[in-house]
Amino acid sequence: MSTKQRVITRRQVLAGSAAGAAALASGFPAPAIADSDPIKIGYLPALTGPSSSTGIGINRGTELAVEEINAAGGVNGRKIELIVRDTQSDPTKAVNAVAELTQRQKAAIIFGPLNSGEALAATPLIARDKVPMLHPCWVDQLIDVKKYPMAFRDAPTNQQIGGAANQYVVDVLKLKKVAVVSDTTGYGTASVDAYVPMLKAKGAEVVFSGNIDAANPDLKPDMLRMRGAGADVIMPWSVNAGFLARILNTRGAMGWDVPVVGQTTLGSGQTKALLEKPDNWNKVYSNNFRNVCFSKDGKLPARAQEFVERLRKAKLDMGDTLLWWIALGYDAPRLIAETIKAAGTSPEQITGYWNKLTAWPGVYGDITFTPEQHNGFQDNEVIMCEVNSLRDGAFNLAPGYGS
Amino acid sequence: MIESIVSYGLAVGAVYAMIGITYNVMFSASRVFSFTSGMLGMLGGVLGALFITRLGLPVVVGLGLVLAGGAAIGVVTEFVAVRPVLKSLEQHLYVLSTLAFALMVQQVVAIKFGTDAQPFPRLLPIGPGLLDQQFWLPMLACAATIAGLEFLYRRTLVGRAFVAIAEDSYAARALGLPEQGLRVASFALAGIIGMLAGFTGAEMLLAFFGNQPILNFYGFVPVALGGMGSNRGAVAGGLALGLFQQAANFLVGGIFAAVAVFVVFIAVLLLRPEGLAGVATSRRV
Repeated sequence: MSTKQRVITRRQVLAGSAAGAAALASGFPAPAIADSDPIKIGYLPALTGPSSSTGIGINRGTELAVEEINAAGGVNGRKIELIVRDTQSDPTKAVNAVAELTQRQKAAIIFGPLNSGEALAATPLIARDKVPMLHPCWVDQLIDVKKYPMAFRDAPTNQQIGGAANQYVVDVLKLKKVAVVSDTTGYGTASVDAYVPMLKAKGAEVVFSGNIDAANPDLKPDMLRMRGAGADVIMPWSVNAGFLARILNTRGAMGWDVPVVGQTTLGSGQTKALLEKPDNWNKVYSNNFRNVCFSKDGKLPARAQEFVERLRKAKLDMGDTLLWWIALGYDAPRLIAETIKAAGTSPEQITGYWNKLTAWPGVYGDITFTPEQHNGFQDNEVIMCEVNSLRDGAFNLAPGYGS
Repeated sequence: MIESIVSYGLAVGAVYAMIGITYNVMFSASRVFSFTSGMLGMLGGVLGALFITRLGLPVVVGLGLVLAGGAAIGVVTEFVAVRPVLKSLEQHLYVLSTLAFALMVQQVVAIKFGTDAQPFPRLLPIGPGLLDQQFWLPMLACAATIAGLEFLYRRTLVGRAFVAIAEDSYAARALGLPEQGLRVASFALAGIIGMLAGFTGAEMLLAFFGNQPILNFYGFVPVALGGMGSNRGAVAGGLALGLFQQAANFLVGGIFAAVAVFVVFIAVLLLRPEGLAGVATSRRV
């Protein structure tokens, strides 16, 4: 899969540089051909390397959207050209690509990086070069209207992710005694530090909180401690499938019937593959998004349903990826194209338009920006889903939400 | 609680002990402390999952391929990371060269195999329970390894040659023993033992590229505790480490269990620098 995409990428690169060379050779001053020039969108997915499964999923949506926009005549008669630089899941590569996209290619805007690690490295540089950027990474610090006035996020923040899980536990499941655990990574410890006070503020009692060495093969001691403390729900914060699967397997082996509520990796195929028995995936609820989940009657919201039909028509594979990844990839070029069509291509025009954007209807979420708030995702669109209900890349809403 | 401490502790301890023996076998023949031991343990799990789960080979064939791969990697280690630096052993360059080789292999695994832990197949069709194979398989492998090594070193000519090299490589060479050939053979043997440790422990530890540094470290502890070059010391040290670690998990829990292990490790090294079973080597003047 990824090899094929890389070939296409290279071809696009070649086409791009050939066009550039032709423009140079012809010697025309740039403004003479500017009106029919393609609009360049710099794009920084991780298509290879350890964090590439997200990037590959998102990329399917992005490519489809660009094809559709160009097939419909482009933006004000100009085609959109996606200048793809595979970050290979490596912040250093992302940083090098930023310099090329902003300075040499003069991209009008950058979509990505798609992973927080690379975005943390790339965002200050994109801001320094005064190019607008749109990204879907969750780390809170990535959006800061003072430091990065041209950076916008069309996805939830970690704050919203934790808030949604806490809200589900306390307000929907009505559980009050919570065990919060994580592995010893930076993400894990930061999550526990952030979410425990949020839970307490909601009136929950955190009966156990701790960081567990994910290398430890036996989690029974810690799980016994949680049970001993009277926990009636476990909230693990980790992206380590092995760690999460051990929690679920130990819960199963102990015959302990508590719900497990947490991050999206709980519902990943990697976690599923490590389960000792399929039942261990019952009563497990992970973060997901209201607009791309099946409701109680087994239907997707109208916008997502229409999108899925479009994907089927384009013969895009959904079985090995997640609908929300494709939807998120699909939304970004459309939002950018609409913005450029309405406002223009200069950084000020794009930023100015986005600072007033209200409820832009994406497949993945309704995006609203203000001059003070560049986190565009809405709190109530982050919800929990039933992880064992995955079909066609989407999940059922967790029980308890109104339809 | 006791049963969980004993079963997990002894099983993990057996894996640590075998990694310790892997260090020892390479060390005896070359005086090189090769940090490829944890890498071998990691590869045993990853390659086992690759051959048996992904490629669908029978368990016996998968095990055979894994062990053969271990021997091959052992030989490559000797040629790539050990032989070139042996000339200037005093500078301890081998620490860097073996570690660099191990890290390169780990990166390749991360890219080709993935960074997520992956399941390791059940080797025998015996259900889970207290006498689960994930517990007794590493113990059995450890017992077989130590018995095999004792037989090799004490009863066979090749084994005696290994011992001779380990005792005094100059004298052994003067007697006409092929030192280089024996060193390559010992690295191949270490490769097989390290892979066996990873393979039999993988149901518990999973097929995961991140097991490498953990095994490198926790496999080193029994060597330091038991005395460098002492295989019996490594087994005793490994099992003790496993039991202590698991007991600490129950008693203090979480990351403090690791802290407890470090504290005891440092205390033992301060009190008995030559290891619990080791004998302080007297320097000839």
